Amino acid sequence: MSDSHGHHRPRPESEPALRAAALEALLVEKGLVSSDAIDAIVELYERDVGPQNGAKVVARAWTDPAFRERLLADATAAVDELGFGGAEADTLVAVPNTPTVHNVVVCTLCSCYPWAVLGLPPTWYKSPPYRARMVAEPRAVLREFGLELPAEAEVRVWDSSAEVRYLVVPVRPAGTDGWTEDALAALVTRDSMIGTAVPAAPGPAS
Amino acid sequence: MSAPRPGGTAGLAEVDAALAGLAPLPRDNGELVFEEPWQGRALGMGVALLAQTGASWAELRRHLVAAIRARPHDPGESAATAYYAAWLDALEALLADQRGAAP
Repeated sequence: MSDSHGHHRPRPESEPALRAAALEALLVEKGLVSSDAIDAIVELYERDVGPQNGAKVVARAWTDPAFRERLLADATAAVDELGFGGAEADTLVAVPNTPTVHNVVVCTLCSCYPWAVLGLPPTWYKSPPYRARMVAEPRAVLREFGLELPAEAEVRVWDSSAEVRYLVVPVRPAGTDGWTEDALAALVTRDSMIGTAVPAAPGPAS
Repeated sequence: MSAPRPGGTAGLAEVDAALAGLAPLPRDNGELVFEEPWQGRALGMGVALLAQTGASWAELRRHLVAAIRARPHDPGESAATAYYAAWLDALEALLADQRGAAP
C-alpha cells in the first residue's frame, strides 16, 4: 500500500487567478500597463457611483425649467444628457414633489434602485420591514425617518422593479434664490431623492 | 462628473456604455461584483490596456462577446467567474491581434 508521504503543496490558486496574474505580468513586462494603474482603476470603479450624480440632476432641474420638463418627460434620456446613463435598459422615471404631493420610493420585491444616479442603496432600503411597511403605512414610516408631512399632503409610493426605477425630485428649499447649481446640489441628500427626507432649507449658520 | 482618473482611462460609465446589452459587467444592484481579486484585475487590465494601446472598445467587446459564447457552460462556476474568465480570453485575443499587426 502506498505510504502517506503526500505532497504538501500550498493550496493552489484558482486557474483563472493564475492566468490573470500571468497576463498581468506579461503586460507589465511589455510596458503596456502598470500594476498601479490597474489598482487605481479598480479602486475608482468600486466607488464611482454615488448619490452626487442624482443631486446634480435635481439641482439642474431646479435651475433649468427646460431640463426639468425633459426630466419629467423622459428621465432616462435627461440623465443621459448629463452623462449619468446607467448600464442596461433600465427606465428611470422622475417623480416631482410639490407642496401637496410627496413621493417616496420602495422596492417591495427586492431592492431595485436607481444606482446610476444614487449609487448604492442604504441598508434600510433593502430591509424587509421598510419594503413591507412603506406600502402599508407610509406616513408612519416617514415619521420614523423624522419626516412629518402635512395632513393635506398626498403620499405617493412608487414600487421599483428591474425595469422601472424612480428618482424623487424634491421641492427646492425656500431661501435658495440665486444659488449656483453646485451649491444647490450640496443640499440634495440621497434620502431626499428616495423620498424619506426633504432637503433642509438653509438656515442661519448653525 | 467623477473623481479624476488615471491618465486617459475610461470612466465606469464609458465602460458600461461600451458593454451595454451584449456583455455588461456583473453587478449586484449596482455594485460591481468581484468575487475574487483577479476579477477586478482582469477588468482593470482591459481598461488600462485600451488606454495604453489605443485599441477600441469595439474590438474588446467583439472578443469578449465571442469568448462568452465560446466558453463551455460550467454549472459549478459563478457568473462573475465565467464573465471575467472570458475577459482574460478577450484580452489574450486582443494581444494576439496586436502582435499580428505589429511590423
